[in-house]
Amino acid sequence: MDDLTTYAENTWCPGCGNFGIFNAFKKAVRTLESKNISRSYIAISAGIGCHAKIFDYLKLSGLYSIHGRSMATIQGMKVANPDLKVVAFAGDGDAFGEGIAHMIFAAKRNADITVIVHDNGVYGLTTGQYTPTSKKGYKGPSTPQGSVEEPLNPLALMLEAGATFVARGYPAKLDHLADIMVKAVEHEGFSFVDVLQPCVTFNNTYKLYNELVEILTSTPDSYEEAVTCAKRKDRLPIGVMYQVKKPAFHRELYGDWNPVAQKMSQKERRESVNKLVNP
Amino acid sequence: MVFTFLVGGKAGEGVKKAGSVAASLFVSMGRHAFEMDDYQSLIRGGHNFSVVTTATRKVTSHYLQSDVVVCLDERSYSLHKAHVAPKGILVYNSDTTKGEGIGIPFTSEANPYPDPRLILGVGTVAVLSAVVGQTKEELKTLVENEYPRGVEHNTAYAAKIYDTARPLVGRTYLLERGDKKRGFLSGNQAIALGACAGGLDMYVAYPMTPSSSILHYLAAHREELGITVIHPENEIAVINMAIGAAFAGAVSMVGTSGGGFALMQEAFSLAGMTETPLLCVLSSRPGPSTGVPTYTEQGDLRFALNQGHGEFPRIVASPGSVEEAFYLTAELLHIVWKFQTPGILLTEKHLSESSMTVDIDCEEAQWVKPVFHTNGEYNRYSDTPDGISPLLFVPSKELINWNSYEHDEKGITTENPDLIVKMHEKRKRKGETLVEYLKGMKTVNVYGEGNPVIFTYGSTLMSVLEALHAGNIKATVVQPIYLEPFPVWEVTQYKNTLGIVIEMSSTGLFASLLKEKTGINPEVVIKKYDGRPFDPQDLADIIKEVL
Repeated sequence: MDDLTTYAENTWCPGCGNFGIFNAFKKAVRTLESKNISRSYIAISAGIGCHAKIFDYLKLSGLYSIHGRSMATIQGMKVANPDLKVVAFAGDGDAFGEGIAHMIFAAKRNADITVIVHDNGVYGLTTGQYTPTSKKGYKGPSTPQGSVEEPLNPLALMLEAGATFVARGYPAKLDHLADIMVKAVEHEGFSFVDVLQPCVTFNNTYKLYNELVEILTSTPDSYEEAVTCAKRKDRLPIGVMYQVKKPAFHRELYGDWNPVAQKMSQKERRESVNKLVNP
Repeated sequence: MVFTFLVGGKAGEGVKKAGSVAASLFVSMGRHAFEMDDYQSLIRGGHNFSVVTTATRKVTSHYLQSDVVVCLDERSYSLHKAHVAPKGILVYNSDTTKGEGIGIPFTSEANPYPDPRLILGVGTVAVLSAVVGQTKEELKTLVENEYPRGVEHNTAYAAKIYDTARPLVGRTYLLERGDKKRGFLSGNQAIALGACAGGLDMYVAYPMTPSSSILHYLAAHREELGITVIHPENEIAVINMAIGAAFAGAVSMVGTSGGGFALMQEAFSLAGMTETPLLCVLSSRPGPSTGVPTYTEQGDLRFALNQGHGEFPRIVASPGSVEEAFYLTAELLHIVWKFQTPGILLTEKHLSESSMTVDIDCEEAQWVKPVFHTNGEYNRYSDTPDGISPLLFVPSKELINWNSYEHDEKGITTENPDLIVKMHEKRKRKGETLVEYLKGMKTVNVYGEGNPVIFTYGSTLMSVLEALHAGNIKATVVQPIYLEPFPVWEVTQYKNTLGIVIEMSSTGLFASLLKEKTGINPEVVIKKYDGRPFDPQDLADIIKEVL
């Protein structure tokens, strides 16, 4: 057991893509520490599902949230204390089913948060139902005849919503994924990492991804090229597809102020309240 | 002398503003005032009215029977002519209405101005000014202070209406001055300011009547109060952001009405499990569903008491006046942080959006002071004798895990039966500690003495107290401020009395709660559920009938 792993018993299936995400993130934390971002300033959250077990396994502070809400949880953390680096782990059902509004709005307001989506196209923990990213025809217990819906493209959706950092990773390319995670956490603004995560039990995509995944040699030059790259079906490019500098939500709200670290004293606060109560 | 001014017209004619200017005139005279705005869920047209009652003693309600009624349109005239007191004055808009009383051409006089519709309210203020014997100069100053946009037009129009009204109704009611100038706040302003006085860091809300003006007020005064205000995509984001903020050490509050609060249920339970200190303002309107958005009711009592799935300590309290709303909000922030569990400030449109004079001393408000972890290894959910686990915030060398799953003391997920029991019992003990703590606090207000004993709560208290004045009725009024935990230790003593319950609900929710908690079975339950608050005179008559 290393110093980033808790005593919680790991119950992911052997070979699960989550192991790669877990190990890549630990590697990313060590890299961030070498760049003077202390782990004590990293706060995490997770939704509910197989992905979310990462919360128990990672020895990092945070709040184990509920299904679809981890992105909202960490936005609250960040706005309260902008010195923190906040990361939400989410499943594809979390991010693009239950919590899709939070994803779109976090991107729209350029909240300075990182969302890592364990995108396996299946609800694993609830025994294999189709998700927002399952391909049409996917057969699960709620769609025994096959899903009749087209899947969402998370990358294109987040680009359209205003994300300022959009990337895709693959756990089998662990160092590459860790590098993306470092860049995502360092990015000031909304960073989205879609991870192609094979589910060995319900949706084993290793073979498919090993054939289709292709490491991007450079970030596409424009937003339009990023969208084209995100929509490719013949290949699955991985790497940073889009990054742009824009003011983050908390800075637009109140500049460099830190609401918890620079809280007004009781005396000052009461004076300003008194002026409004008794003008 | 109690004096009431009522102004009615269409939305967009400045009726609400005229009410608040009338109130500020009375307040500047050192008098007490109570303002109630009746408006519909629309932007233009319809029928709005504002009624302001003032006296040199404390007034806790408006009266519908008014000494001066000013009607800007035909509809107001036909609705409110019945509200004119026996020796009162009825002023109507002679351009829109053929009526009895004093006709004043509000509209034709307004026509020369750029916004002839919006300016009408200024004219009604000018009538009031003449009635109460203000000089033209005093009126000019009032209008300059209250209507700074397009001030020259406003003062000119006011002067014109004043000159017309003065010979007809001038100096009819010469109000005596009161003892001192007080603050004048709406319930929602008091909630907002009370929260700030109590140490609020962040307010998160999505607009929903009648809670929205908390959001607007705090957003407008964000900088001077040193707080953060966020209006995110929906109520689910609202409460989850607030929980995340609390995790990072921010004192957070959310506010909404019934429908929005229904969306927050899931995360309310999350706050219970993670032991997140969080205060939610629930300002009710008539339900179910969309109901009647801009009116008042106490139909959400059971909803508030049972918010969130699962078993955990909940706190619900409801203020009975604007002043109490100020102190209670600060007190509830203190309590939810002391006990690290979610709480609800339950109120209604009638308190949220009515305004009254207040005597508030900010120094008497509570300030959030949680129990902090001091040294040694940190366990977020340490199993303490009182059930309260000390807090610690990021950044820290210690591992700080808040968890929605059942967890061990460290905050790691568990399914172990012994740990499930241990944590259930920890939270239960925390609830028992809370009850003991509340026993040392003022959890019930009692007014008056003797029989009958009137049980009421929330904004209905304001109507009840004024009704006792209006009807010269002797009674004891018992108002539980806390509804969960219910202060049985205070209320049970009224068991063998002639009990009357007064509430704004159709099924008698408060009466049933009282019976369930204390065994008190009141003789009579006076209920009102037409969206309008009780008129004190009407309520006095009803009480006398049942006695």
